[in-house]
Amino acid sequence: MSNWREPNRVNTSRSMILMAVGAVAGLMLAGYALFTARGTSTLFVPPEDVALVNQQPISRSDFLLQLQTLFGVDIAHATTEQRRQVLNEMIREELFVQRGKELDVASTDPDVRSAMVNAVELEIAADAITTQPSDAALVDYYKAHTEKYSREGLMTVHDYVFPKDALDQARRAASDLRSGRVRPDAVAQLGAKESPIVGDEQFYFAARIHLGPVLFDAARALDNGAASDPITVGDTVHVLLMTNNTRPLPLSFSEARDQVLNDFRRDAINHMRLGDEAFLRKRANILIADDLR
Amino acid sequence: MHMRAGLLIVLGVLSVLAIGVHRERMGARLLRSDPDTLAADPSLYQFALAGGKSVFNARCAGCHGEDGRGDPARGIPNLADDDWLYGEGLVSDIERIVMHGIRSNDPKAWNLAHMPAFGRDRTGVQDGGFPSLTPQQIRDVVEYVLSLEGRPASAPSAERGAKVYKMDGGCYDCHSDDARGNPAIGAPNLVDRVTLYGDGSRQSLFDSIAYGRSGVCPAWDRKLSPLAIREVAVHVFSLSHIAPLDAARL
Repeated sequence: MSNWREPNRVNTSRSMILMAVGAVAGLMLAGYALFTARGTSTLFVPPEDVALVNQQPISRSDFLLQLQTLFGVDIAHATTEQRRQVLNEMIREELFVQRGKELDVASTDPDVRSAMVNAVELEIAADAITTQPSDAALVDYYKAHTEKYSREGLMTVHDYVFPKDALDQARRAASDLRSGRVRPDAVAQLGAKESPIVGDEQFYFAARIHLGPVLFDAARALDNGAASDPITVGDTVHVLLMTNNTRPLPLSFSEARDQVLNDFRRDAINHMRLGDEAFLRKRANILIADDLR
Repeated sequence: MHMRAGLLIVLGVLSVLAIGVHRERMGARLLRSDPDTLAADPSLYQFALAGGKSVFNARCAGCHGEDGRGDPARGIPNLADDDWLYGEGLVSDIERIVMHGIRSNDPKAWNLAHMPAFGRDRTGVQDGGFPSLTPQQIRDVVEYVLSLEGRPASAPSAERGAKVYKMDGGCYDCHSDDARGNPAIGAPNLVDRVTLYGDGSRQSLFDSIAYGRSGVCPAWDRKLSPLAIREVAVHVFSLSHIAPLDAARL
Protein backbone atom coordinates (compact mmCIF):
# COMPACT_ATOMS: atom_id res chain seq x y z
CA MET A 1 0.00 0.00 0.00
CA SER A 2 3.01 2.25 0.37
CA ASN A 3 3.12 3.20 -3.33
CA TRP A 4 -0.70 3.33 -3.78
CA ARG A 5 -0.61 7.10 -4.37
CA GLU A 6 2.46 7.08 -6.63
CA PRO A 7 1.28 6.68 -10.22
CA ASN A 8 4.80 6.18 -11.57
CA ARG A 9 5.21 2.96 -9.58
CA VAL A 10 3.45 -0.30 -10.24
CA ASN A 11 0.87 -1.32 -7.62
CA THR A 12 -1.06 -4.51 -8.24
CA SER A 13 -3.82 -3.75 -5.73
CA ARG A 14 -4.42 -0.34 -7.23
CA SER A 15 -4.59 -1.83 -10.72
CA MET A 16 -7.08 -4.49 -9.66
CA ILE A 17 -9.31 -2.03 -7.81
CA LEU A 18 -9.34 0.49 -10.63
CA MET A 19 -10.08 -2.25 -13.14
CA ALA A 20 -12.95 -3.49 -10.96
CA VAL A 21 -14.36 0.04 -10.63
CA GLY A 22 -14.13 0.51 -14.39
CA ALA A 23 -15.81 -2.83 -15.03
CA VAL A 24 -18.66 -2.07 -12.61
CA ALA A 25 -19.18 1.40 -14.12
CA GLY A 26 -19.18 -0.09 -17.61
CA LEU A 27 -21.67 -2.77 -16.64
CA MET A 28 -23.92 -0.15 -15.02
CA LEU A 29 -23.85 2.04 -18.10
CA ALA A 30 -24.47 -0.90 -20.40
CA GLY A 31 -27.37 -2.08 -18.24
CA TYR A 32 -28.91 1.37 -18.17
CA ALA A 33 -28.55 1.76 -21.92
CA LEU A 34 -29.87 -1.73 -22.53
CA PHE A 35 -33.10 -1.14 -20.65
CA THR A 36 -33.80 2.44 -21.63
CA ALA A 37 -32.50 3.03 -25.16
CA ARG A 38 -34.94 3.22 -28.01
CA GLY A 39 -35.05 0.26 -30.32
CA THR A 40 -34.01 -2.21 -27.68
CA SER A 41 -36.10 -4.49 -25.55
CA THR A 42 -36.95 -2.88 -22.28
CA LEU A 43 -38.84 -3.77 -19.16
CA PHE A 44 -39.68 -0.17 -18.33
CA VAL A 45 -42.25 2.08 -19.97
CA PRO A 46 -40.51 5.39 -20.79
CA PRO A 47 -42.10 8.38 -19.09
CA GLU A 48 -43.26 9.87 -22.39
CA ASP A 49 -45.31 6.75 -23.15
CA VAL A 50 -48.24 5.04 -21.50
CA ALA A 51 -47.59 1.53 -22.76
CA LEU A 52 -45.30 -0.62 -24.85
CA VAL A 53 -46.88 -3.16 -27.15
CA ASN A 54 -44.25 -5.58 -28.40
CA GLN A 55 -41.76 -2.78 -27.63
CA GLN A 56 -43.74 -0.30 -29.73
CA PRO A 57 -44.59 2.77 -27.64
CA ILE A 58 -48.02 4.30 -27.25
CA SER A 59 -47.29 7.92 -26.59
CA ARG A 60 -48.68 9.74 -23.59
CA SER A 61 -49.63 12.77 -25.69
CA ASP A 62 -51.69 10.59 -28.04
CA PHE A 63 -53.32 9.00 -25.01
CA LEU A 64 -54.24 12.41 -23.54
CA LEU A 65 -55.59 13.60 -26.89
CA GLN A 66 -57.65 10.44 -27.29
CA LEU A 67 -59.02 10.86 -23.78
CA GLN A 68 -60.01 14.42 -24.59
CA THR A 69 -61.54 13.44 -27.92
CA LEU A 70 -63.55 10.50 -26.62
CA PHE A 71 -64.67 11.78 -23.25
CA GLY A 72 -63.91 15.50 -23.28
CA VAL A 73 -61.87 15.25 -20.07
CA ASP A 74 -58.23 15.73 -19.16
CA ILE A 75 -56.32 13.07 -17.30
CA ALA A 76 -56.94 14.68 -13.92
CA HIS A 77 -60.69 14.42 -14.38
CA ALA A 78 -60.86 11.09 -16.21
CA THR A 79 -62.24 8.13 -14.32
CA THR A 80 -60.24 4.95 -14.04
CA GLU A 81 -62.75 3.27 -16.32
CA GLN A 82 -62.32 5.99 -18.98
CA ARG A 83 -58.53 5.72 -18.83
CA ARG A 84 -58.70 1.95 -19.09
CA GLN A 85 -61.09 2.08 -22.02
CA VAL A 86 -58.92 4.52 -23.96
CA LEU A 87 -55.76 2.56 -23.23
CA ASN A 88 -57.40 -0.71 -24.30
CA GLU A 89 -58.55 0.87 -27.54
CA MET A 90 -55.06 2.17 -28.25
CA ILE A 91 -53.43 -1.16 -27.44
CA ARG A 92 -55.94 -2.89 -29.72
CA GLU A 93 -55.12 -0.43 -32.50
CA GLU A 94 -51.39 -0.98 -32.07
CA LEU A 95 -51.82 -4.76 -32.14
CA PHE A 96 -53.81 -4.54 -35.36
CA VAL A 97 -51.28 -2.17 -36.92
CA GLN A 98 -48.51 -4.63 -36.11
CA ARG A 99 -50.56 -7.48 -37.53
CA GLY A 100 -51.21 -5.36 -40.59
CA LYS A 101 -47.46 -5.01 -41.11
CA GLU A 102 -47.05 -8.77 -40.81
CA LEU A 103 -49.79 -9.30 -43.37
CA ASP A 104 -48.25 -6.63 -45.63
CA VAL A 105 -51.55 -4.82 -45.90
CA ALA A 106 -49.84 -1.99 -47.76
CA SER A 107 -49.37 -4.20 -50.79
CA THR A 108 -53.11 -4.56 -51.27
CA ASP A 109 -54.92 -1.66 -49.59
CA PRO A 110 -54.76 1.63 -51.51
CA ASP A 111 -55.71 3.67 -48.41
CA VAL A 112 -52.80 2.22 -46.45
CA ARG A 113 -50.45 2.85 -49.37
CA SER A 114 -51.63 6.43 -49.63
CA ALA A 115 -51.22 6.97 -45.88
CA MET A 116 -47.69 5.53 -46.03
CA VAL A 117 -46.75 7.79 -48.93
CA ASN A 118 -48.08 10.80 -47.03
CA ALA A 119 -46.21 9.80 -43.88
CA VAL A 120 -42.91 9.40 -45.74
CA GLU A 121 -43.39 12.74 -47.49
CA LEU A 122 -44.03 14.32 -44.12
CA GLU A 123 -40.86 12.80 -42.74
CA ILE A 124 -38.90 14.15 -45.69
CA ALA A 125 -40.51 17.58 -45.30
CA ALA A 126 -39.84 17.83 -41.57
CA ASP A 127 -36.47 19.51 -42.01
CA ALA A 128 -37.79 22.10 -44.43
CA ILE A 129 -40.82 22.88 -42.26
CA THR A 130 -38.91 23.30 -39.03
CA THR A 131 -36.04 25.29 -40.49
CA GLN A 132 -36.50 29.02 -40.12
CA PRO A 133 -35.02 30.65 -43.22
CA SER A 134 -33.10 33.89 -42.77
CA ASP A 135 -34.67 37.15 -43.86
CA ALA A 136 -31.91 37.50 -46.47
CA ALA A 137 -32.94 34.18 -48.04
CA LEU A 138 -36.58 35.25 -48.03
CA VAL A 139 -35.78 38.62 -49.60
CA ASP A 140 -33.83 36.86 -52.35
CA TYR A 141 -36.79 34.57 -52.97
CA TYR A 142 -39.18 37.54 -52.99
CA LYS A 143 -37.01 39.38 -55.52
CA ALA A 144 -36.90 36.32 -57.75
CA HIS A 145 -40.70 35.94 -57.71
CA THR A 146 -42.00 39.50 -57.41
CA GLU A 147 -44.74 38.89 -59.96
CA LYS A 148 -46.46 36.59 -57.45
CA TYR A 149 -46.72 39.21 -54.75
CA SER A 150 -49.15 41.96 -55.69
CA ARG A 151 -52.57 43.23 -54.77
CA GLU A 152 -55.25 42.32 -57.30
CA GLY A 153 -56.03 45.15 -59.73
CA LEU A 154 -59.43 46.85 -59.61
CA MET A 155 -61.47 48.24 -62.49
CA THR A 156 -64.83 49.86 -63.12
CA VAL A 157 -65.47 49.49 -66.83
CA HIS A 158 -68.56 49.95 -69.00
CA ASP A 159 -69.02 47.65 -71.96
CA TYR A 160 -71.24 49.05 -74.74
CA VAL A 161 -72.34 46.31 -77.13
CA PHE A 162 -73.31 47.01 -80.75
CA PRO A 163 -74.56 44.61 -83.41
CA LYS A 164 -71.86 43.43 -85.81
CA ASP A 165 -73.19 45.55 -88.66
CA ALA A 166 -73.13 48.77 -86.55
CA LEU A 167 -69.39 49.31 -86.70
CA ASP A 168 -69.76 52.94 -87.78
CA GLN A 169 -72.02 53.77 -84.83
CA ALA A 170 -69.50 52.06 -82.57
CA ARG A 171 -66.69 54.18 -83.97
CA ARG A 172 -68.77 57.32 -83.44
CA ALA A 173 -69.64 56.31 -79.91
CA ALA A 174 -65.97 55.68 -79.09
CA SER A 175 -65.01 59.04 -80.52
CA ASP A 176 -67.84 60.87 -78.72
CA LEU A 177 -67.02 59.15 -75.41
CA ARG A 178 -63.37 60.17 -75.71
CA SER A 179 -64.17 63.75 -76.53
CA GLY A 180 -66.90 63.96 -73.90
CA ARG A 181 -69.48 64.93 -76.51
CA VAL A 182 -71.81 62.22 -75.26
CA ARG A 183 -72.56 61.16 -71.70
CA PRO A 184 -72.04 57.45 -71.05
CA ASP A 185 -75.73 56.98 -70.24
CA ALA A 186 -76.67 58.41 -73.67
CA VAL A 187 -74.68 55.83 -75.63
CA ALA A 188 -77.85 53.77 -75.95
CA GLN A 189 -79.16 56.38 -78.35
CA LEU A 190 -76.40 55.30 -80.75
CA GLY A 191 -77.79 51.78 -80.79
CA ALA A 192 -75.71 50.18 -78.03
CA LYS A 193 -76.75 48.10 -75.08
CA GLU A 194 -74.63 48.24 -71.95
CA SER A 195 -73.53 44.84 -70.69
CA PRO A 196 -75.02 44.26 -67.24
CA ILE A 197 -72.26 41.95 -65.99
CA VAL A 198 -69.68 44.71 -65.76
CA GLY A 199 -70.14 48.32 -64.73
CA ASP A 200 -69.53 47.92 -61.01
CA GLU A 201 -66.07 47.91 -59.50
CA GLN A 202 -64.47 44.49 -59.95
CA PHE A 203 -61.22 42.73 -59.24
CA TYR A 204 -59.15 42.07 -62.35
CA PHE A 205 -59.74 38.34 -62.19
CA ALA A 206 -63.52 38.89 -62.11
CA ALA A 207 -63.38 41.37 -64.99
CA ARG A 208 -61.32 38.83 -66.96
CA ILE A 209 -64.03 36.22 -66.41
CA HIS A 210 -66.85 38.61 -67.25
CA LEU A 211 -65.31 40.31 -70.29
CA GLY A 212 -63.35 37.41 -71.73
CA PRO A 213 -59.63 37.56 -72.48
CA VAL A 214 -59.79 39.82 -75.58
CA LEU A 215 -61.89 42.57 -74.02
CA PHE A 216 -60.09 42.29 -70.69
CA ASP A 217 -56.69 42.80 -72.30
CA ALA A 218 -58.05 45.91 -74.03
CA ALA A 219 -59.70 47.15 -70.84
CA ARG A 220 -56.72 46.87 -68.56
CA ALA A 221 -54.66 49.01 -70.95
CA LEU A 222 -57.14 51.89 -70.62
CA ASP A 223 -56.50 54.78 -68.29
CA ASN A 224 -59.22 56.40 -66.24
CA GLY A 225 -61.80 58.08 -68.50
CA ALA A 226 -60.45 56.46 -71.69
CA ALA A 227 -62.62 54.70 -74.25
CA SER A 228 -61.43 51.86 -76.46
CA ASP A 229 -61.66 51.55 -80.21
CA PRO A 230 -64.47 49.26 -81.35
CA ILE A 231 -63.52 45.60 -80.72
CA THR A 232 -65.23 42.85 -82.67
CA VAL A 233 -65.83 39.67 -80.71
CA GLY A 234 -67.97 37.06 -82.43
CA ASP A 235 -71.22 38.65 -83.61
CA THR A 236 -70.90 41.82 -81.58
CA VAL A 237 -68.84 44.98 -81.48
CA HIS A 238 -67.77 46.39 -78.10
CA VAL A 239 -66.70 49.81 -76.96
CA LEU A 240 -65.19 49.94 -73.47
CA LEU A 241 -65.23 53.00 -71.25
CA MET A 242 -62.91 52.86 -68.27
CA THR A 243 -64.18 54.80 -65.24
CA ASN A 244 -61.53 53.67 -62.80
CA ASN A 245 -58.53 51.42 -63.37
CA THR A 246 -56.35 50.65 -60.36
CA ARG A 247 -53.56 48.47 -61.66
CA PRO A 248 -52.10 45.66 -59.47
CA LEU A 249 -49.83 47.13 -56.83
CA PRO A 250 -46.77 45.10 -55.88
CA LEU A 251 -46.70 44.09 -52.21
CA SER A 252 -43.60 45.16 -50.34
CA PHE A 253 -41.52 42.39 -48.80
CA SER A 254 -42.86 43.13 -45.32
CA GLU A 255 -46.45 43.02 -46.61
CA ALA A 256 -45.86 39.76 -48.46
CA ARG A 257 -43.51 38.12 -45.93
CA ASP A 258 -46.05 35.61 -44.68
CA GLN A 259 -46.85 34.48 -48.20
CA VAL A 260 -43.17 34.50 -49.19
CA LEU A 261 -42.32 32.26 -46.23
CA ASN A 262 -45.08 29.80 -47.15
CA ASP A 263 -43.96 29.70 -50.79
CA PHE A 264 -40.30 29.39 -49.81
CA ARG A 265 -41.10 26.44 -47.55
CA ARG A 266 -43.32 24.81 -50.16
CA ASP A 267 -40.54 25.03 -52.74
CA ALA A 268 -37.99 23.71 -50.22
CA ILE A 269 -40.27 20.78 -49.39
CA ASN A 270 -40.79 19.99 -53.07
CA HIS A 271 -37.06 20.19 -53.65
CA MET A 272 -36.37 17.76 -50.80
CA ARG A 273 -39.08 15.39 -51.98
CA LEU A 274 -37.67 15.35 -55.48
CA GLY A 275 -34.18 14.75 -54.09
CA ASP A 276 -35.35 11.88 -51.93
CA GLU A 277 -37.32 10.37 -54.77
CA ALA A 278 -34.26 10.54 -57.02
CA PHE A 279 -32.20 8.84 -54.30
CA LEU A 280 -34.80 6.10 -53.80
CA ARG A 281 -34.99 5.49 -57.53
CA LYS A 282 -31.23 5.36 -57.78
CA ARG A 283 -30.80 2.70 -55.15
CA ALA A 284 -33.88 0.71 -56.18
CA ASN A 285 -33.90 -2.27 -58.48
CA ILE A 286 -36.74 -1.41 -60.86
CA LEU A 287 -37.62 -3.73 -63.71
CA ILE A 288 -40.10 -2.54 -66.31
CA ALA A 289 -42.03 -4.76 -68.68
CA ASP A 290 -40.75 -4.78 -72.25
CA ASP A 291 -43.91 -3.24 -73.71
CA LEU A 292 -43.71 -0.24 -71.39
CA ARG A 293 -40.04 0.57 -71.75
CA MET B 1 -2.00 16.00 -2.52
CA HIS B 2 -2.76 13.28 -5.08
CA MET B 3 -5.33 11.82 -2.70
CA ARG B 4 -7.10 15.17 -2.43
CA ALA B 5 -7.12 15.66 -6.18
CA GLY B 6 -8.48 12.16 -6.70
CA LEU B 7 -11.17 12.79 -4.11
CA LEU B 8 -12.17 16.02 -5.86
CA ILE B 9 -12.40 14.22 -9.20
CA VAL B 10 -14.53 11.48 -7.67
CA LEU B 11 -16.75 14.08 -6.00
CA GLY B 12 -17.05 15.94 -9.28
CA VAL B 13 -18.00 12.80 -11.16
CA LEU B 14 -20.50 11.88 -8.46
CA SER B 15 -21.99 15.38 -8.57
CA VAL B 16 -22.43 15.20 -12.32
CA LEU B 17 -24.00 11.78 -11.94
CA ALA B 18 -26.28 13.02 -9.16
CA ILE B 19 -27.38 15.99 -11.26
CA GLY B 20 -27.99 13.68 -14.23
CA VAL B 21 -30.02 11.27 -12.12
CA HIS B 22 -31.97 14.14 -10.57
CA ARG B 23 -32.73 15.61 -13.99
CA GLU B 24 -33.71 12.20 -15.31
CA ARG B 25 -36.09 11.66 -12.39
CA MET B 26 -37.55 15.17 -12.60
CA GLY B 27 -37.93 14.77 -16.36
CA ALA B 28 -39.80 11.51 -15.89
CA ARG B 29 -41.99 13.13 -13.23
CA LEU B 30 -42.69 16.06 -15.53
CA LEU B 31 -43.67 13.81 -18.41
CA ARG B 32 -45.91 11.65 -16.24
CA SER B 33 -47.65 14.60 -14.62
CA ASP B 34 -50.93 16.06 -15.83
CA PRO B 35 -49.78 19.01 -17.95
CA ASP B 36 -52.68 21.19 -16.91
CA THR B 37 -52.17 20.83 -13.18
CA LEU B 38 -48.39 20.77 -12.95
CA ALA B 39 -48.29 24.53 -12.34
CA ALA B 40 -49.53 23.68 -8.85
CA ASP B 41 -46.26 21.87 -8.16
CA PRO B 42 -43.68 24.68 -7.80
CA SER B 43 -40.58 22.47 -7.95
CA LEU B 44 -41.75 20.70 -11.10
CA TYR B 45 -42.91 23.96 -12.64
CA GLN B 46 -39.55 25.63 -12.00
CA PHE B 47 -37.72 22.60 -13.38
CA ALA B 48 -39.76 22.80 -16.59
CA LEU B 49 -39.22 26.54 -16.89
CA ALA B 50 -35.47 26.18 -16.56
CA GLY B 51 -35.31 23.84 -19.54
CA GLY B 52 -38.13 25.44 -21.51
CA LYS B 53 -36.54 28.86 -21.80
CA SER B 54 -33.47 27.58 -23.65
CA VAL B 55 -35.57 25.41 -25.97
CA PHE B 56 -37.79 28.40 -26.69
CA ASN B 57 -34.83 30.64 -27.47
CA ALA B 58 -33.32 28.03 -29.76
CA ARG B 59 -36.45 27.00 -31.64
CA CYS B 60 -39.26 29.52 -31.23
CA ALA B 61 -37.71 32.93 -30.61
CA GLY B 62 -36.71 33.22 -34.27
CA CYS B 63 -40.36 33.98 -35.04
CA HIS B 64 -42.03 34.82 -31.73
CA GLY B 65 -39.12 36.83 -30.30
CA GLU B 66 -37.35 36.06 -27.02
CA ASP B 67 -40.12 37.75 -25.06
CA GLY B 68 -42.75 35.79 -27.03
CA ARG B 69 -44.61 38.93 -28.04
CA GLY B 70 -44.63 38.04 -31.75
CA ASP B 71 -44.90 40.50 -34.60
CA PRO B 72 -48.27 41.56 -36.03
CA ALA B 73 -46.56 42.86 -39.17
CA ARG B 74 -45.63 39.26 -39.93
CA GLY B 75 -48.72 37.62 -38.44
CA ILE B 76 -46.71 36.08 -35.61
CA PRO B 77 -49.00 35.74 -32.61
CA ASN B 78 -48.24 37.29 -29.25
CA LEU B 79 -47.79 34.42 -26.77
CA ALA B 80 -47.61 36.72 -23.77
CA ASP B 81 -51.18 38.00 -23.85
CA ASP B 82 -54.32 36.10 -22.83
CA ASP B 83 -55.73 35.80 -26.35
CA TRP B 84 -55.52 32.22 -27.63
CA LEU B 85 -56.36 31.30 -31.17
CA TYR B 86 -56.26 27.55 -30.65
CA GLY B 87 -57.62 26.03 -27.47
CA GLU B 88 -57.69 27.86 -24.17
CA GLY B 89 -54.00 28.41 -23.50
CA LEU B 90 -53.63 25.35 -21.27
CA VAL B 91 -50.25 23.63 -21.18
CA SER B 92 -51.81 20.67 -22.98
CA ASP B 93 -53.14 22.96 -25.74
CA ILE B 94 -49.74 24.61 -26.17
CA GLU B 95 -47.97 21.25 -26.07
CA ARG B 96 -50.17 19.94 -28.87
CA ILE B 97 -49.30 22.94 -31.04
CA VAL B 98 -45.57 22.60 -30.36
CA MET B 99 -45.74 18.90 -31.09
CA HIS B 100 -47.87 18.87 -34.22
CA GLY B 101 -47.92 22.49 -35.35
CA ILE B 102 -50.46 24.53 -37.25
CA ARG B 103 -50.99 23.84 -40.95
CA SER B 104 -47.66 22.02 -40.76
CA ASN B 105 -48.58 19.03 -42.96
CA ASP B 106 -48.58 16.89 -39.82
CA PRO B 107 -51.81 14.86 -39.85
CA LYS B 108 -52.38 15.68 -36.17
CA ALA B 109 -51.83 19.42 -36.64
CA TRP B 110 -54.50 22.10 -36.53
CA ASN B 111 -55.13 21.94 -40.27
CA LEU B 112 -58.86 22.39 -40.40
CA ALA B 113 -59.26 26.05 -41.26
CA HIS B 114 -57.52 28.89 -43.01
CA MET B 115 -58.62 32.36 -44.04
CA PRO B 116 -59.73 32.15 -47.68
CA ALA B 117 -58.71 34.82 -50.19
CA PHE B 118 -62.05 36.38 -51.12
CA GLY B 119 -60.40 38.81 -53.53
CA ARG B 120 -58.89 36.10 -55.71
CA ASP B 121 -60.45 33.83 -58.28
CA ARG B 122 -62.07 31.08 -56.24
CA THR B 123 -63.26 29.00 -59.16
CA GLY B 124 -62.71 25.39 -58.20
CA VAL B 125 -61.23 26.25 -54.78
CA GLN B 126 -62.31 23.61 -52.29
CA ASP B 127 -62.38 25.45 -49.01
CA GLY B 128 -65.97 25.92 -48.05
CA GLY B 129 -67.54 26.68 -51.39
CA PHE B 130 -67.94 30.40 -50.73
CA PRO B 131 -67.61 32.62 -53.81
CA SER B 132 -65.25 35.53 -54.35
CA LEU B 133 -66.49 38.89 -53.12
CA THR B 134 -66.47 42.22 -54.93
CA PRO B 135 -64.18 44.97 -53.66
CA GLN B 136 -67.23 46.85 -52.32
CA GLN B 137 -68.48 43.79 -50.46
CA ILE B 138 -65.05 43.43 -48.83
CA ARG B 139 -65.04 47.11 -47.86
CA ASP B 140 -68.50 46.63 -46.35
CA VAL B 141 -67.28 43.67 -44.28
CA VAL B 142 -64.32 45.77 -43.12
CA GLU B 143 -66.75 48.45 -41.90
CA TYR B 144 -68.83 45.76 -40.17
CA VAL B 145 -65.76 44.41 -38.37
CA LEU B 146 -64.77 47.92 -37.31
CA SER B 147 -68.27 48.47 -35.95
CA LEU B 148 -68.06 45.20 -33.99
CA GLU B 149 -64.87 46.44 -32.38
CA GLY B 150 -66.60 49.66 -31.40
CA ARG B 151 -64.44 51.73 -33.74
CA PRO B 152 -65.76 54.48 -36.05
CA ALA B 153 -67.38 52.92 -39.12
CA SER B 154 -69.80 53.85 -41.88
CA ALA B 155 -73.21 52.63 -40.66
CA PRO B 156 -74.81 51.90 -44.07
CA SER B 157 -71.66 50.10 -45.24
CA ALA B 158 -71.45 48.12 -41.99
CA GLU B 159 -75.10 47.13 -42.39
CA ARG B 160 -74.37 45.77 -45.87
CA GLY B 161 -71.24 44.13 -44.49
CA ALA B 162 -73.28 42.32 -41.83
CA LYS B 163 -75.36 40.76 -44.58
CA VAL B 164 -72.25 39.64 -46.46
CA TYR B 165 -70.84 38.26 -43.17
CA LYS B 166 -73.96 36.19 -42.59
CA MET B 167 -74.72 35.23 -46.19
CA ASP B 168 -72.50 35.46 -49.31
CA GLY B 169 -69.17 35.64 -47.50
CA GLY B 170 -69.98 32.82 -45.11
CA CYS B 171 -67.74 34.47 -42.50
CA TYR B 172 -70.03 33.20 -39.74
CA ASP B 173 -69.04 29.66 -40.65
CA CYS B 174 -65.66 30.02 -38.94
CA HIS B 175 -65.88 33.22 -36.91
CA SER B 176 -69.33 32.21 -35.54
CA ASP B 177 -72.57 34.21 -35.60
CA ASP B 178 -71.47 36.59 -32.85
CA ALA B 179 -68.02 37.07 -34.49
CA ARG B 180 -66.29 35.93 -31.31
CA GLY B 181 -64.34 33.29 -33.22
CA ASN B 182 -63.92 29.61 -32.58
CA PRO B 183 -60.86 28.30 -30.72
CA ALA B 184 -61.65 24.77 -31.89
CA ILE B 185 -60.49 25.70 -35.40
CA GLY B 186 -58.34 28.74 -34.68
CA ALA B 187 -60.81 31.31 -36.03
CA PRO B 188 -59.94 34.66 -34.43
CA ASN B 189 -62.31 36.70 -32.30
CA LEU B 190 -63.25 39.75 -34.38
CA VAL B 191 -64.70 41.87 -31.58
CA ASP B 192 -61.75 42.01 -29.16
CA ARG B 193 -59.52 44.49 -31.04
CA VAL B 194 -56.64 42.00 -30.95
CA THR B 195 -55.29 41.93 -34.48
CA LEU B 196 -53.19 38.99 -35.55
CA TYR B 197 -52.15 40.49 -38.89
CA GLY B 198 -51.27 44.11 -39.46
CA ASP B 199 -52.21 47.20 -37.52
CA GLY B 200 -55.99 46.81 -37.62
CA SER B 201 -56.30 49.53 -40.27
CA ARG B 202 -58.90 49.34 -43.01
CA GLN B 203 -56.17 48.42 -45.52
CA SER B 204 -54.80 45.56 -43.42
CA LEU B 205 -58.32 44.21 -42.77
CA PHE B 206 -59.08 44.51 -46.50
CA ASP B 207 -55.85 42.64 -47.32
CA SER B 208 -56.70 39.85 -44.86
CA ILE B 209 -60.12 39.32 -46.40
CA ALA B 210 -59.06 39.83 -50.03
CA TYR B 211 -55.82 37.84 -50.04
CA GLY B 212 -56.33 35.38 -47.20
CA ARG B 213 -54.11 34.25 -44.34
CA SER B 214 -52.67 30.87 -43.47
CA GLY B 215 -49.78 31.15 -41.05
CA VAL B 216 -47.74 28.08 -40.27
CA CYS B 217 -46.26 26.82 -37.02
CA PRO B 218 -43.90 23.88 -37.57
CA ALA B 219 -44.42 20.50 -35.94
CA TRP B 220 -41.54 19.76 -33.58
CA ASP B 221 -42.29 16.18 -32.62
CA ARG B 222 -39.65 14.88 -35.01
CA LYS B 223 -37.05 17.39 -33.84
CA LEU B 224 -37.52 17.74 -30.10
CA SER B 225 -37.76 15.15 -27.34
CA PRO B 226 -41.08 14.77 -25.48
CA LEU B 227 -39.39 16.32 -22.43
CA ALA B 228 -38.20 19.38 -24.37
CA ILE B 229 -41.69 19.80 -25.83
CA ARG B 230 -43.29 19.64 -22.38
CA GLU B 231 -40.72 22.11 -21.02
CA VAL B 232 -41.22 24.64 -23.80
CA ALA B 233 -44.99 24.33 -23.46
CA VAL B 234 -44.67 25.22 -19.77
CA HIS B 235 -42.41 28.14 -20.66
CA VAL B 236 -44.95 29.49 -23.17
CA PHE B 237 -47.70 29.02 -20.58
CA SER B 238 -45.63 31.03 -18.10
CA LEU B 239 -45.43 33.99 -20.49
CA SER B 240 -49.10 34.71 -19.97
CA HIS B 241 -49.67 33.27 -16.51
CA ILE B 242 -48.41 34.27 -13.08
CA ALA B 243 -45.99 31.72 -11.71
CA PRO B 244 -47.42 29.64 -8.85
CA LEU B 245 -44.84 30.98 -6.40
CA ASP B 246 -45.68 34.57 -7.32
CA ALA B 247 -49.39 33.82 -7.18
CA ALA B 248 -48.96 32.49 -3.66
CA ARG B 249 -47.35 35.76 -2.60
CA LEU B 250 -50.23 37.87 -3.96
